Amino acid sequence: MFDEVWRKFSGLGQFSRTRIDESLDNVLIREVPMCEFTVPGAQNTRVLVVGATSRIGRIVVRKLMLRGYNVKALVRKADQDVIDMLPRSVEIVIGDVGESSTLNAAVEGCNKIIYCATARSTITGDLNRVDYQGVYNVSKAFQDYNNKLAQLRAGKSSKSKLLLAKFKSEESLNGWEVRQGTYFQDVIAAKYDGGMDAKFEFTETGNAVFSGYVFTRGGYVELSKKLSLPLGSTLDRYDGLLLSVGGNGRSFVLILEAGPTADTAESKTYFARMSTKVGFCRARIPFSSFRPVKPDDPPLDPFLVHTLTIRFEPRRQRPVEGPAGSKQDLRSFKLIIEYIKALPTGEETDFILVSCTGSGIEPNRREQVLKAKKAGEDSLRRSGLGYTIVRPGPLQEEPGGQRALIFDQGNRISQGISCADVADICVKALHDSTARNKSFDVCYEYMAEQGKELYELVAHLPDKANNYLTPALSVLEKNT
Amino acid sequence: MASSRCTALPTQLATPPRRHLHGPSSSTTTTTATRSSSSSSSSLSWRRTLAHDNFVASAAVSSLLSVTSSSSSQGIIRCTTERTVATNLAPGTPVRPTSILVVGATGTLGRQIVRRALDEGYDVRCLVRPRPAPADFLRDWGATVVNADLSKPETIPATLVGIHTVIDCATGRPEEPIKTVDWEGKVALIQCAKAMGIQKYVFFSIHNCDRHPEVPLMEIKYCTEKFIQDAGLPYIIIRLCGFMQGLIGQYAVPILEDKAVWGTDAPTRIAYMDTQDIARLTFIGLRNEKINKKLLTFAGPRAWTTQEVITLCERLAGQDANVTTVPVSVLKLTRQLTRLFEWTSDVADRLAFSEVLTSDTVFSAPMTETYSLLGVDQKDIITLEKYLQDYFTNILKKLKDLKAQSKQSDFYI
Repeated sequence: MFDEVWRKFSGLGQFSRTRIDESLDNVLIREVPMCEFTVPGAQNTRVLVVGATSRIGRIVVRKLMLRGYNVKALVRKADQDVIDMLPRSVEIVIGDVGESSTLNAAVEGCNKIIYCATARSTITGDLNRVDYQGVYNVSKAFQDYNNKLAQLRAGKSSKSKLLLAKFKSEESLNGWEVRQGTYFQDVIAAKYDGGMDAKFEFTETGNAVFSGYVFTRGGYVELSKKLSLPLGSTLDRYDGLLLSVGGNGRSFVLILEAGPTADTAESKTYFARMSTKVGFCRARIPFSSFRPVKPDDPPLDPFLVHTLTIRFEPRRQRPVEGPAGSKQDLRSFKLIIEYIKALPTGEETDFILVSCTGSGIEPNRREQVLKAKKAGEDSLRRSGLGYTIVRPGPLQEEPGGQRALIFDQGNRISQGISCADVADICVKALHDSTARNKSFDVCYEYMAEQGKELYELVAHLPDKANNYLTPALSVLEKNT
Repeated sequence: MASSRCTALPTQLATPPRRHLHGPSSSTTTTTATRSSSSSSSSLSWRRTLAHDNFVASAAVSSLLSVTSSSSSQGIIRCTTERTVATNLAPGTPVRPTSILVVGATGTLGRQIVRRALDEGYDVRCLVRPRPAPADFLRDWGATVVNADLSKPETIPATLVGIHTVIDCATGRPEEPIKTVDWEGKVALIQCAKAMGIQKYVFFSIHNCDRHPEVPLMEIKYCTEKFIQDAGLPYIIIRLCGFMQGLIGQYAVPILEDKAVWGTDAPTRIAYMDTQDIARLTFIGLRNEKINKKLLTFAGPRAWTTQEVITLCERLAGQDANVTTVPVSVLKLTRQLTRLFEWTSDVADRLAFSEVLTSDTVFSAPMTETYSLLGVDQKDIITLEKYLQDYFTNILKKLKDLKAQSKQSDFYI
């Protein structure tokens, strides 16, 4: 009692410092009700940081720790200096992104992944291993883990794609119907037209090919099927379509018919354009990009979709860039279809990938680096995970939060950015719905000459509770 | 005591862990030798003021101080010239500007500084006293913790290797003699920082410390300010008024727990400030090239008396406080009494603040100029009302959640 009174009494003489007892620590530090860094729900989120010892990764880990996340760090070797570099309560897992077998343990228990590993050299083997194969392996391991969890719950993973059609045999083509038609009737011209023809067949090489020609003015051919979804799944839980296609690079129109299945006369049609390129590619077409054919119709409700159509029309085709002199007839087409899947929907991003813009890399290796990075980005995009791809300008080692940032799409940026700012973007993007399924470039703002400003200033110097990311990203295109 | 420290320091400096940061060892020994003599005399002179403890005509102090500063500056200036040449010639990796050392990282302010620094992407090293229960939270956040003790100067140099900026927010704990950490330790640290070419030294001082030489802590802070200014290394001195965080333990928790709140009837007003804001402003200032060798004062938006703070807490908590008001005269008397006994002299030093409390001082400073210098908007600085309101809202909400679950009585903390 006397001690207590004496302590209080002598404490009166103090005014600038107080003793902090352990219990008060909890209020002010751990439980942090009033800390500017806390993120609600962080305690229940476990983030895997791949490349935790990289320039960005180190800061990402610290930022996550400060905000109360559970952090797992994937490192190749748990040397003493690696351990010293990471905060003590980070869970360290040993693994190599190039070895898919080592990744299952790493993704276990994780809700989100931030991938900031990058190849140590610009040797093609290294680039492929880390920047491409690594992203593929990690996203695959994560999806496998999600599926495994879902199976334990006797359900399907909410992060896995829904297979709508896969063409791997003759039989798989059943139900697909080839039709032709014209937008307008021109009786006289039709007499002189070369007509049109199209077929959908399974070739000896094991491909399902939709090919033909349309010489008729205003004519089109299309491939259509009534969708039969597996029991219990509806398309409203999905975000869009993913098609794996090949061919000669024509552009197509995807048409969805939606309406009550009982009465097809009530159906409304919606369309979206799909561009392909020569060779194989994956096209991502979000449901949000479908527009009603009749402008007065309501926006597409994926729940009601019952028929999918792929239409080819010779209008608005762009010649494919190829060797000069090769004559292309834009009225003929070939489309190899491998599969059609529906992409799962979600609020937040699952996987944040730090890529690069290519500026600042030695010029003679730039192409190879970008190729590997791009391949990695693509493999993430088609994984079905919600993704955010951050392409920072040349990295600078300086404190973050000092300068305004430019967010842009389209490879136009020229400035550098500090590692700490990139890390901040990664951490902020974790729970930001505007960051889902977006790729963007980011760098410091720069002072353009008068009248030559290319960009709008979208970010500000961070202050307390400043969220610059949401307004900056909400203007950018999705599914990029 | 002083001389033993000073002999220890040069040996450390002459055998540095990594050579590239230091000059040729011959110059090191000579400079430190000259400095050791001057600093020992200065610390001795300081001790004399305390020993006499005559209630200080301020003129006497200032003259003493001028002696202190002039004698030390001679030594230091000589050291400057040689040192800069040596640093420039020395080969080795340049120190990264993101590497900082925080002294006093476990304190109320220090931990916010560390947290802010880590979040802004600095590599933070924390100088922490070796102790049985280590400061785990610093490591959890990702800072590197090195063990050193300012009262043992030979432990200092190794911690400064590869460091660009030193942020010094250390203050001795109430239970230990002020002098060991706050004067001798700081002198050793500053000399060491100078010798090792630290490129910026941030020192946290107390507002009005030049006006209250009778309070030992404030006098030491003032002497340290002078010492830094004369040491010739780039510095920022930031004078602070009071921390909002301190009010939680002093008033908010006791009020919620229905325990006695001890207050004084002192008319002194303090402009409390949130340590998170202090940390934020500090780093903005640190990166601003224009703010070098400057003395800034950070003050909160409004100055409060103890009574006002208690009233505010009562209003926000929705309950009356059980206030025990101790007249300042009692504090003063106690101080006089305790000074009579040798073993209570530390207590006397601590109660010396009562001298400040009786004077009608306002611990506040106009911030407009500082805000514009730093480019900060005043409305981003949290007010005490808002701070305490946030605290009580959070706590009362938590209390509601817990009340249903248990009969535990210590939810306030």
